Amino acid sequence: MKRLLLLALPIVAIGLWFLYPRPYDWGLSDGDPVPEVPENNPMSTAKVELGRHLFYDTRLSINGAFSCASCHIQSLAFTDGRARSVGATGETHPRSAMSLVNTAFASRLTWANSLTASLEDQALTPLFGDNPIEMGLAGREDQLTRLFTDDPVYARLFVDAFPKQQRPGTIINMVRAISAFTRSIVSFRSPYDAYLDGDTTAISEAAKRGEALFFSERAECFHCHGGFNFTDSTTHRDARVERVGYHNTGLYNLGNTGAYPPDNPGLIDITGKRRDMGKFRAPTLRNIAVTAPYMHDGSIATLGEVIDHYARGGRLIEEGPNAGDGNVSPFKSEFVRGFELSDAEKRELLAFLESLTDDAALTDPRWSSPWVGQTASGNEDRSTSQVE
Amino acid sequence: MRRLVLLSLIASLPACEPKQREMSIPFTVEFNGQVLRCDDSATVSLSDLRLFVHDVEFRDASGAAVTGQLVRDGTWQSRQVAMLDLETGTGACDDGTLPVNDALQVSIPGDVSPETMKGLGFTLGVPFELNHDDPLKAAPPLDDSSMHWHWRSGYKFLRAGVETADDGFWLHLGSTACRGTTGNISGCDQPNRVRVELAGFRPGHDGVVIDIGRLFDGIDLEDGIRSDCSSGPTEPACPDVLSAFGLGESDGELSRGVFTARPLELASTR
Repeated sequence: MKRLLLLALPIVAIGLWFLYPRPYDWGLSDGDPVPEVPENNPMSTAKVELGRHLFYDTRLSINGAFSCASCHIQSLAFTDGRARSVGATGETHPRSAMSLVNTAFASRLTWANSLTASLEDQALTPLFGDNPIEMGLAGREDQLTRLFTDDPVYARLFVDAFPKQQRPGTIINMVRAISAFTRSIVSFRSPYDAYLDGDTTAISEAAKRGEALFFSERAECFHCHGGFNFTDSTTHRDARVERVGYHNTGLYNLGNTGAYPPDNPGLIDITGKRRDMGKFRAPTLRNIAVTAPYMHDGSIATLGEVIDHYARGGRLIEEGPNAGDGNVSPFKSEFVRGFELSDAEKRELLAFLESLTDDAALTDPRWSSPWVGQTASGNEDRSTSQVE
Repeated sequence: MRRLVLLSLIASLPACEPKQREMSIPFTVEFNGQVLRCDDSATVSLSDLRLFVHDVEFRDASGAAVTGQLVRDGTWQSRQVAMLDLETGTGACDDGTLPVNDALQVSIPGDVSPETMKGLGFTLGVPFELNHDDPLKAAPPLDDSSMHWHWRSGYKFLRAGVETADDGFWLHLGSTACRGTTGNISGCDQPNRVRVELAGFRPGHDGVVIDIGRLFDGIDLEDGIRSDCSSGPTEPACPDVLSAFGLGESDGELSRGVFTARPLELASTR
């Protein structure tokens, strides 16, 4: 009897191991922060895999020519290299595509929308919005659900991702899977992370001096770009407080009234509060060296010029419709006061920012297109065609 | 005793649902008094006109309010809100949809004679209780994704636009300056719902005319500069357009006669 029990124990244990839902593997190291996940959209490998297929599929657009990846290119930290993104039908977006690496840790999404606190909410704007048209899917729900049911690849992926549902090929599940995929893009594998983990040779001596400048009261960078994700709008699973911050950096001061260009006024567009004129969310600085051009409207071409802008304490535009001196804007953040920096110090600050580039994230096959060479209908790569 | 209560309950049941009379309220669109269609060969053509309406009321002979209950049809109307779609999805409206819904279907108590009623009131917009729910789970007509306004965490109450040869203008009206986050909106500083009262409206005899020319009265449609208004606080074209509805910085009164009542026989001969 005792022997029987001893035999049964491992069998029960193995059974339990199979039955018990294992936590999702983020691929993070011990000690890394873990993203917060909405209760109604738990992570699973199958859901992330479905989301990856959707993210890279041009059939998710008004004209079959555009996917999420058209504006979020992995090698550019999921930005698109443009000053302002261009949607499926050629409409130009007022703002620049934001990086998706570690966007799972953002307490608010997009450049200046305090209403949007989850990736699930955010995804609806590029998918269905018409001002401007990005993917242009409004009114095409039937076409999409047919694709999810009829296409053998999707039929299988939706069932795998939502195994308890009778008819899983729905719009809600599409949004949840794309969000789960986006949420899965988390990485702390830059040279600077290795340096923080104790590898003193991971970054150059210049970068170490640049780090000291970055965190100094002279340059003030860290006030808005602090914390593990180098932005003050950050949260994570074990966060005690959710931090949200928007700042006017003196980029514009139209007619010295403090105004920003009317197509891009910042947070005021959402809140209606005058004090929110020109306020935008500080983006993460992770991978910042590969996400040019810079600022919400791509109006600064290089990282060096961004440093010049902050060193001056605001941008001077001498003529044209946007003329004005951002340095004297009444809405400018108290942290953008300007500073003196020698050429050598500027190079050191740049070396530090470059040490935040996470090459593993930019090439990780978990986040690359699944369609190359293996689509259901032909062998074309669904993710790369773009409208110029 | 208990049986008595039960009996009286049963006896009172028919009284809870008096016979209702169904009525149709047609809507048409004009541009400064002229008929406006999606026909893009015209000097001015419609490019969009879709809107939500709720809280429909008539006035009886004594001036008391008579509720016009929205008739649920599973597509355009729920009990709470109705959607009107006056664009045909063709010509200059090619960003729109083919189905058209140009009349509200309401029911009034059977004991009220429509002949004695005067006046029509309705609210342009989606009720606050429904405006900020998850649109992917919404019942018709709120499931129409072209009316969703995700980045403002609600619905477009009205989308209206016109095109000329080389110019055009469109308006998206809806609640702005909302507080909280999507899914947890506590209120909006600019609700932007518009109460419309048409005092002389005779149910069964009159229709509602929406004159977009009067709405876009302050917009230059010949300067070749396309513009638009998404109800935002800093958009240059918004104050004038919103003032036609008494919104924004204006005095709260509807002006310029965007909505008028018109006898059906006149409307149909145009």
